[in-house]
Amino acid sequence: MTAPLLPPSVPDLGGLRLPDAAACAVTVARLQGAREPRVVVVGNPNVGKTTLINAVAGTRLKVGNWSGVTVEKREAHLSHAGRRVHLLDLPGAYSLSPHTPEELIARTALMDEAPDAVMNVLDAGNLERNLYLTLQLMDFGLPVAVALNLVDEARDKGLTVDAPALSRALGVPVIETVASRSVGTADLMSGVLDRATLGVAVRYPAAIEEAAQDLTSCMSGLSTLPPHAHRYLALALLEGDPSVRGRLAATGHQPLLEAADAHLAALEARGLDPLIEIAEARYARAGDLARVAVPQAQARRTFSERLDRLTLHPLLGIPLFLGLVLLVFRLTFSVASPFVDLIGGPLQDILSGWASAGLAWFPLARDLVVGAIIPGVGTVLSFLPTLLVLYLAMSFLEDSGYMARAAFLMDRAMRSVGLDGRAFIPLILGFGCNVPAVYATRTLERRSDRVLVSMILPFMSCSARLPVYVVFAAALFPRSGSWLVWGLYVLGMAVAFLFALVLRRTSLPAEGGGVLLELPPYRFPAWRVLWKHAWRRTASFARRARTTVMGTVAVVWLLLALPAVSGQRFATVPPQQSLFGVVSQAVSPIFAPLGFGNWQATGALVPGFIAKEVVVGTLGQIYLGEQAAAPAPLGLVAGITQTLGAAWDAVKASVSALPTVLALPSLSAGPSADTQTPLAAALARAFTPASGLAYLVFVLLYTPCIATVGAMAQEHGRRVAWVTVAYQLATAWVVGLIVYQIASRVL
Amino acid sequence: MEERTLDQLNPGDAAHVVSLDPRHPLRRRLLELGFVRGAPVTVVRRAPMGDPLELRVNGTDLALRLADLRGIRVRR
Ligand SMILES: Nc1nc2c(ncn2[C@@H]2O[C@H](COP(=O)(O)OP(=O)(O)OP(=O)(O)O)[C@@H](O)[C@H]2O)c(=O)[nH]1
Ligand SMILES: [Mg+2]
Repeated sequence: MTAPLLPPSVPDLGGLRLPDAAACAVTVARLQGAREPRVVVVGNPNVGKTTLINAVAGTRLKVGNWSGVTVEKREAHLSHAGRRVHLLDLPGAYSLSPHTPEELIARTALMDEAPDAVMNVLDAGNLERNLYLTLQLMDFGLPVAVALNLVDEARDKGLTVDAPALSRALGVPVIETVASRSVGTADLMSGVLDRATLGVAVRYPAAIEEAAQDLTSCMSGLSTLPPHAHRYLALALLEGDPSVRGRLAATGHQPLLEAADAHLAALEARGLDPLIEIAEARYARAGDLARVAVPQAQARRTFSERLDRLTLHPLLGIPLFLGLVLLVFRLTFSVASPFVDLIGGPLQDILSGWASAGLAWFPLARDLVVGAIIPGVGTVLSFLPTLLVLYLAMSFLEDSGYMARAAFLMDRAMRSVGLDGRAFIPLILGFGCNVPAVYATRTLERRSDRVLVSMILPFMSCSARLPVYVVFAAALFPRSGSWLVWGLYVLGMAVAFLFALVLRRTSLPAEGGGVLLELPPYRFPAWRVLWKHAWRRTASFARRARTTVMGTVAVVWLLLALPAVSGQRFATVPPQQSLFGVVSQAVSPIFAPLGFGNWQATGALVPGFIAKEVVVGTLGQIYLGEQAAAPAPLGLVAGITQTLGAAWDAVKASVSALPTVLALPSLSAGPSADTQTPLAAALARAFTPASGLAYLVFVLLYTPCIATVGAMAQEHGRRVAWVTVAYQLATAWVVGLIVYQIASRVL
Repeated sequence: MEERTLDQLNPGDAAHVVSLDPRHPLRRRLLELGFVRGAPVTVVRRAPMGDPLELRVNGTDLALRLADLRGIRVRR
């Protein structure tokens, strides 16, 4: 019995199960008749699924070179031969027996999304392991087409791949692709839409086949289980897959579970463990297929292995890692700080001048724009260059595969606080932004680990807090700015690890169960992709400056304009007697022991709950809004020439800072004192070094921003989110107190 | 050839999988990754702090802790 679309000569590799001709005809007809076919994209982690989708559909879904970049399903659309096609990007999975919530997504999509076809993406350089999943897919009754991706990397390893031979052996189309350079993508889509078909599956040992047959016939009467999943479900039951059992138990399929138990008992009595039998049969077949597809597999020693000998060196590995992190922060400062000064200083002055001239007849609007919007939003926007550099560096580490090495290096250290190396990746991502980092905890297998990591994550100083440090460093510690910032990052990590220990001992004990880390080959990230990532993250920060930050700044302005004392009038009230001033004043004694018990400092903390960068914006409003005497307006031409001149100076300063980045031991270069912005000058008057330090420590630790709280509530429930807010506030106060009490005696 | 558990191998050693402890916490996962009977395994290196070991199985590099390697029997 041969399926109609099966190639004429299927080589006999033994242990095969050819697709049923009738089922094949039905599913293929459905795929080809679908007006808007839905295609699910399935494959191991990190094989380029998302890159491939972006290449065929022109979308910008997120990619990265570590397992677990895609953590939710995402849809992309394209049109092919006049049909609108839905491509469903799924998190990578090694098998369809899920171990993490993100792996479950792939299987759920295959079962419940009623896909018309499956695009199975394989790593051509690592076929045997990738084919394990392919063979599992063949147990589903869905048309499959294979994208043999990463053929460029396979070639570099000295492997030659024979796609036609693999196609004949699997009975489905196999198309070679290089997703990162859009090679083969057109062929791939026609392969999926016009030629996908049911493939040749594994025939398991007879006893198992009989049991599976019996279980599928039990299912045939049930409308609750999609028919294309029957054989897969039967095998999963025999493998004892806990998630399938759980799902069937929850949906009232007890008779099926009992039938499975009876079979399992009978098999055990015959000395057979179906889990092992099935895995061995699949690997035997995967090995055969790999030999067919890659005839002389003699992999050369690769670049990756040589690089690992350095980066994972017993003595150099860890210092290298720490040095790299330090380098990233130095790069961020030296290269970006001239631009920070440019946007925060001259550019803002010129804009304020123009705005106050243009709005001279509308004093209220002028006050709002010159006294609130420009300093508030401007201060926040002046950090865009810093962030762009930080994000570029982080994307490079993610995309190159180095993050996974960091997990390997740090595993032993993480174990001493009850976590494992993989937990290190979300923590490092937290330096960029806590929100995606909370979602990245999905790659952890155990719930207690996910909750624990999310709860300590906000102590990792996200990039939105950086502006606050930089401004204070310029104001109070002009000569040791980099050290100060570095110290704050370290303090955040120390507090995070301390709480990891505390939480492990108290409410979130380790669940046990092993640890498995993956070390993907290094890949040199495509600059285009890096730029796209970094730019997108920076742009979303800028967007927030336009929406969240501008909104918050406007509300603060309103509160500052509303008099709380009789006899004062709207907008002319001195800040201290405004609603904002009076309420902040009332709260401020709480912070007296921390050295900043004044209403200005206290008030600026509140909007920080909305977004951390607003703290700087609000400080700008409070301290600079008072002296709202805007600089004299320049003529249009003079303004533009002056701006361009300042911009050119910034570029020169930034380029000349580059060599100093590599001079590692001298960490002293920070924001320079002579270019102090007006805000820095105002802060230098309002804070002492000790109270400034305590303030920064408080800002570092006090609460996750609202977006992070939202992400935590979504991932782990509201209780976890609010407990985190509460315990962090308490921690921030206590640590701030300690720091102030010590610093005020020492400094 | 003598049988031992994987944690007793040193970097550079190669062996073949004999069996997995039936109560191994990663049993399912390891089978899926190719730790089936007869599969060749190589120990690539030890992490700087001594624990996890990097292994190569099926062309994939992965790292397992010594505690988890104790449940994997291999033969040289
Ligand atoms: N050299 C090369 N690199 C590729 C190719 N396809 C993808 N990449 C790179 O491989 C890495 C992983 O790509 P992703 O698209 O994020 O992989 P994924 O399968 O979606 O990963 P998960 O979502 O984690 O499962 C990225 O660094 C890509 O740039 C290819 O054909 N050749
Ligand atoms: Mg992806």
